Amino acid sequence: MESEDRALLERKVRRAFQVLVLQRGRNPGVKGWEMKRHLGKDYRKIIEVLSEDVSSLGLEVHEVKGAEGTDDGSRFLLRFREPPTLSEAETSGIRIDDLAVLAAAIAFVNSKQGRAGRRETEHFLREKFPKWRVEYSLDRYLKRGYLEQDDMTLLRIGWRTRAEIDEKTLMTLILSRGADEVAPAQ
Amino acid sequence: MDDRKMEDVLRVIELCRSVERSSANPFEVDIRDKIRILREKLPQWKFLDELLVDSEAMLELTQIVKLQDEWLKHRASSLYIDPLLVQLKVKLLSKDALVEAFVKSWHPIAQVDQLSPKGLERAFVYFRDLVPLSERFKDEFGSYGVRPGTVDYSELVELGVFTQQEFENRLKDLMLELTEKSGGDWVDYRAFVSARTFEDKVLRAYLLSFLISEGRASLKIDPLTGEIWTRALKERAQGTPRSVAISVTEGT
Repeated sequence: MESEDRALLERKVRRAFQVLVLQRGRNPGVKGWEMKRHLGKDYRKIIEVLSEDVSSLGLEVHEVKGAEGTDDGSRFLLRFREPPTLSEAETSGIRIDDLAVLAAAIAFVNSKQGRAGRRETEHFLREKFPKWRVEYSLDRYLKRGYLEQDDMTLLRIGWRTRAEIDEKTLMTLILSRGADEVAPAQ
Repeated sequence: MDDRKMEDVLRVIELCRSVERSSANPFEVDIRDKIRILREKLPQWKFLDELLVDSEAMLELTQIVKLQDEWLKHRASSLYIDPLLVQLKVKLLSKDALVEAFVKSWHPIAQVDQLSPKGLERAFVYFRDLVPLSERFKDEFGSYGVRPGTVDYSELVELGVFTQQEFENRLKDLMLELTEKSGGDWVDYRAFVSARTFEDKVLRAYLLSFLISEGRASLKIDPLTGEIWTRALKERAQGTPRSVAISVTEGT
């Protein structure tokens, strides 16, 4: 590769990183059409190079397909390549008990074919967690976009869960836990 | 309209709605049987009201078919696992095991939301060069310029932009249009409020915000795609309303 081409590529990769890492507006990530505007029509190649470059920092560029499935509608996010450790998760400011509520809620909604009534979800979670924590956590995760609630108070999986959580891995891990990890009888 | 004659059709509507409102299996509705009922009853209907109830039943049945489609897609995906097994596992697992499973499948978004030195400099330059409020609108409105504020419905009536009757008629018309266009489904918000002139577009957005505030219509925003959808509601929405700011601009 010519040195000029290399310099241009490096400049574009740097630009892509800056565009992805700085939050603009309320929503994380950058749309495909914005990427095209910043980086040119070959932006996917630049993103591939960037994703490779940031892997040494434990990050990756993740694509979330838009509703219409077009390249322009996709959203690109910078996220952890590998999941954090438990102690790292604890330092993020989220209470472990709240994460347990979210994990149980996602598993429950998925078990109900992706739509579960808010009441039945609360009822299910209350068998495991205190009432106040269930209501507080569900409201909090609705606000953060991990869950969505429609007019008929049906809960669905939210955009943030689709962006951050490998649902298949979560369900597999929940199902594969052994008897030694079960909760003590109350 | 004779309710006794319509009983079977009303029962179909009620059954469909109860399935839509819950997470029940949509295949519990026997679509073929319900369509047979509607077909048998159709020749009896003479009045518009009766025909409207019949078409409403048909609409509810299409919603159930849509749910059946979603249900099948989910079952065909690798996310489908026997619901009872999942629920039993979640109930039995300790909180620590649940958290561990979650953390092992979690890839948090990495983003910086602090100001950069460059951003801080731009903000400083912007505020330094900002014309005081008292001066800002002088060119356009003379020295009595006021900053933009909010106008509520009573003020619009007082200003003569609307009469109360006219306002209610327009609301009704817009509600009817939304019901027809959405047919119980989500429609694109921007496409719906679009009009030939910018003034009409603002008016439609303003009226629609009333319908949404009153719980007669609903709004959905997908933060990932930035798309906004709206739809008419058959029953007033329950729950706590939330404020959403949507800019209405000329053109798109």
